Amino acid sequence: MEKPELIVHLKEIVGSDHVLSSDMDLTLYSYDASLDRAKPDMVILPGSTEEVSKVVTLAYKEKIPLIGRGSGTNLTGGTIPIKGGIIIHFSRMNRILEIDIPNRTATVQPGVITLDLQNRVAELGFIYAPDPASQKVSTLGGNFGENSGGPHCLKYGVTTNHILGAEVVLDDGTVTWTGGKAQNNPGYDLTGLLVGSEGTLVIATKLILKLIRAPEAVKTMLAIYDTIEDGANTVSAIIAEGIIPATLEMMDNKVIQAVEASVHAGYPLDAAAVLIIELDGMSDGMDKKAEKISEICKRHHVREIRLAKTESERAKLWAGRKGAFGAVARLRPSYMCCDGTVPRTRLPEALAKVMEVSKKYDVPIGNVFHAGDGNLHPLIMFDERDEEEKERVLKAGSEILKICADLGGTISGEHGVGVEKLKETHFIFCERDLEFARQIKKAFDPMGLLNPGKMIPEPDNNHQNQGVLV
Amino acid sequence: MTDLNNRYNELMEIVGPEHIRTDDGDVEQYAVDGMTPNAVVFPKDTQQVSDVVTYANLKNLAIIPFGSGTKMALGHPPKRLDMVIGTSRLNSMVDVDTDNLTFTVEAGVKFRDIQARLATEEDRCYLPLEDLGTEAEAFICSDRSHSGCFMPLDPPFSASATIGGILASNSTGPRRLLYGLPRDILLGIRFVTPDGAIVGTGGKTVKNVSGYDISKLMIGSAGSLGILCEMTLRLLPLPERMETILVSFDSFKNTSTFVEAILDTQLLPAAVEVMNKRAFEGFKNNKSDLIPGRYAVAVALEAYEEAVDRMKLEMLDMAKDFEAEDSIVFSEDGHRLFWHSMGNLQNSMANRFPGMITAKLSYQISDWKNIIQFADDTLSSNHLEYTLLCHTGNGGCTINFLLDGDDTAASERAVSTIDLLLEQTCKANGNLVVQTAPTNLKKDLPLWGEPRFDSPVMGRIKNQLDPKGIMSSGRFVGGL
Repeated sequence: MEKPELIVHLKEIVGSDHVLSSDMDLTLYSYDASLDRAKPDMVILPGSTEEVSKVVTLAYKEKIPLIGRGSGTNLTGGTIPIKGGIIIHFSRMNRILEIDIPNRTATVQPGVITLDLQNRVAELGFIYAPDPASQKVSTLGGNFGENSGGPHCLKYGVTTNHILGAEVVLDDGTVTWTGGKAQNNPGYDLTGLLVGSEGTLVIATKLILKLIRAPEAVKTMLAIYDTIEDGANTVSAIIAEGIIPATLEMMDNKVIQAVEASVHAGYPLDAAAVLIIELDGMSDGMDKKAEKISEICKRHHVREIRLAKTESERAKLWAGRKGAFGAVARLRPSYMCCDGTVPRTRLPEALAKVMEVSKKYDVPIGNVFHAGDGNLHPLIMFDERDEEEKERVLKAGSEILKICADLGGTISGEHGVGVEKLKETHFIFCERDLEFARQIKKAFDPMGLLNPGKMIPEPDNNHQNQGVLV
Repeated sequence: MTDLNNRYNELMEIVGPEHIRTDDGDVEQYAVDGMTPNAVVFPKDTQQVSDVVTYANLKNLAIIPFGSGTKMALGHPPKRLDMVIGTSRLNSMVDVDTDNLTFTVEAGVKFRDIQARLATEEDRCYLPLEDLGTEAEAFICSDRSHSGCFMPLDPPFSASATIGGILASNSTGPRRLLYGLPRDILLGIRFVTPDGAIVGTGGKTVKNVSGYDISKLMIGSAGSLGILCEMTLRLLPLPERMETILVSFDSFKNTSTFVEAILDTQLLPAAVEVMNKRAFEGFKNNKSDLIPGRYAVAVALEAYEEAVDRMKLEMLDMAKDFEAEDSIVFSEDGHRLFWHSMGNLQNSMANRFPGMITAKLSYQISDWKNIIQFADDTLSSNHLEYTLLCHTGNGGCTINFLLDGDDTAASERAVSTIDLLLEQTCKANGNLVVQTAPTNLKKDLPLWGEPRFDSPVMGRIKNQLDPKGIMSSGRFVGGL
């Protein structure tokens, strides 16, 4: 089918206002928050599951690639149509369909903004826990596809721990359900497999999310350090002492500088590192734990500990963390965020090596990360227009991921593989691991039409890596 | 026959002659639903599992993995079975990293030994060590420089189950209310695929999105997609204090009001378990002198000292408000023993009732009262004896039908009752899985509940990964 004819068919399905194909439109959909760029052939904005199903059926017959897209906050090129095709943008499927407090669930369409749902359930005394830093703009469908994390995942787990079920459209347009409001359904945990599959196995059209009761009490502290090692050692020590805070977030001096210039969170400009520590749960025993944490901080030469006394003080401490990625844009026009993750006890080592990489490639690196999870986010700052500098940045990024893999960690904690880290999958997987993933892909999408070219590299016999032993 | 002998020869070369059993008396102990394998092999590591499975695939031999045998009654009788692969020699604790709060272990390691290994120097452990009969003393006393951790799972059969079997059967217990399901705790896994390849996924980090989350697929796959060999799970620090409050009620109305009142607070109990009198009385080692009512509610409190104290006080007050018959508190040893005994209820009942059927019901959380009342009414009016344990707040309930096996009429009534229960759970967006049943009743039972929308997708996965159907042939959901 020729493109003009296809557009006529798509307009019949979703309405003529909801098919975009002008050059400007396609350019607007050619990028996400990563460094990759590619234009789709067209973009559709469906209004219902039925419309998605019809579009998928048509694409299946015509062998056209399909890429689901939310707000495009993806950091690894997961939404970039590298093989062209149709982008299914979920901005119109943005309704919260049901909040079912007795069953502790919310059912939503994939285009709902994460924070919108969180605000709605907060009014009822509940939380939807996964809180990616982009929650103000990211969609729940995107969170599903990427298995997003966030600062509170240390205690509550990532997106997959909070998704109970999904309505999904299969490669041939069939609509089906996995999971549901009840847990422990017989059979394979397909929901678990699909969360984080980056749109390569199915297209999700409804999600059932788990809600939990908001904690009775929250205590937020800021610990300020003169060396980054002291901060990192504090993190391991807190966990080793048997305390699992809700969050342990760290920022280094470069990021502090950037944050203070933009959001004025009140972090001292000369600090080498700050650590946001938050406890939540029942109020009983919390003061004692906070004291214990203070002791541990002191043992690791903390300069100062500030305790948020009011909700607005707490919000201010967090504003710095949540605004950090945006703030570094003040330092250089572009950044690349490496999402490498290490077992948390290896954190000090990993940080030291990241700084060596910064020197080796002569690229500035700021660190803002989920320390308690061992999830680094070195932000390599540069100017995208400078090709030579970009080359160095890409090399530095890859080297950082290798460091994480070699320390017993992995190449992505929460941002996914997308296209950006395809090469780096060889740091952690051997060919037979990847072959198994290809078989899974084949079971769902034998023609390879769903978000093609993502997550799993093409077979490559040159890589003899033995993979990580669990 | 020559062919069979050759077969053994090649297997013997892989695992060594002393690690393969072919005598009738030996292999009979590994029969699955009455189907006896020709051989039972015991590989010593993942590589040997891979070699054995590669060979089986080549010769199209049907295989079933076997740990301690506590879940072997799950699922349909196998379509075919040539060889059982025992995991008892996959018994290494590969990496105990208490600072990082992760534990890497081979599939054949027993759950109790994992918990014992994580105890404090003073032997404070998540399980009641003195009642476990732990074989490997070494696990208890060696190298415990930490303040005590535990693996946050509380599956039934905790004294004998292997970690591989627990994950393969997605086995859970009441305390999943606080700690979550195996899917929330498993970080990485290595397994052997039906064609013999060793595949690894995940690892030691608590977050990992570097590829498909294969671990989730393998949990609960009951040996249908491969043999789990090595796994990394997350640990938690031992709770500062562990106590149980046990409250008895005579009316279901008061029982349910009490439970709902607890679940409606911001308190964080580890479990809120409702049981009928028969279940309560059925615990082995139940030393409590609680005045029993028709129902009892057990609340597990595992938290900071101050939090446990407050929960205890508030809940005991609530119990009074709702006219509890009696209440009692257990701490530490008593607490551990209580929950351990509860986990072994199915086991101890099975010894007394050889015809027992165990059904595990799932449903959306809010329907728990309807489900219990329906079960109580239906089972009583059918003159069936049963124990009932309901994980409130989780949407799960386990019913043991206490059948001696000789009373065919009673067994038939139980079978028809299970159909009714299934219908009821489906109405509540849930399902029902038969955990154990005499083989002769299996053809009449909805072993995996009602087929769901996603069955065709499961078929696609199974056919892709195991086209010859050698792995646990026909036992899984939909006869996969």
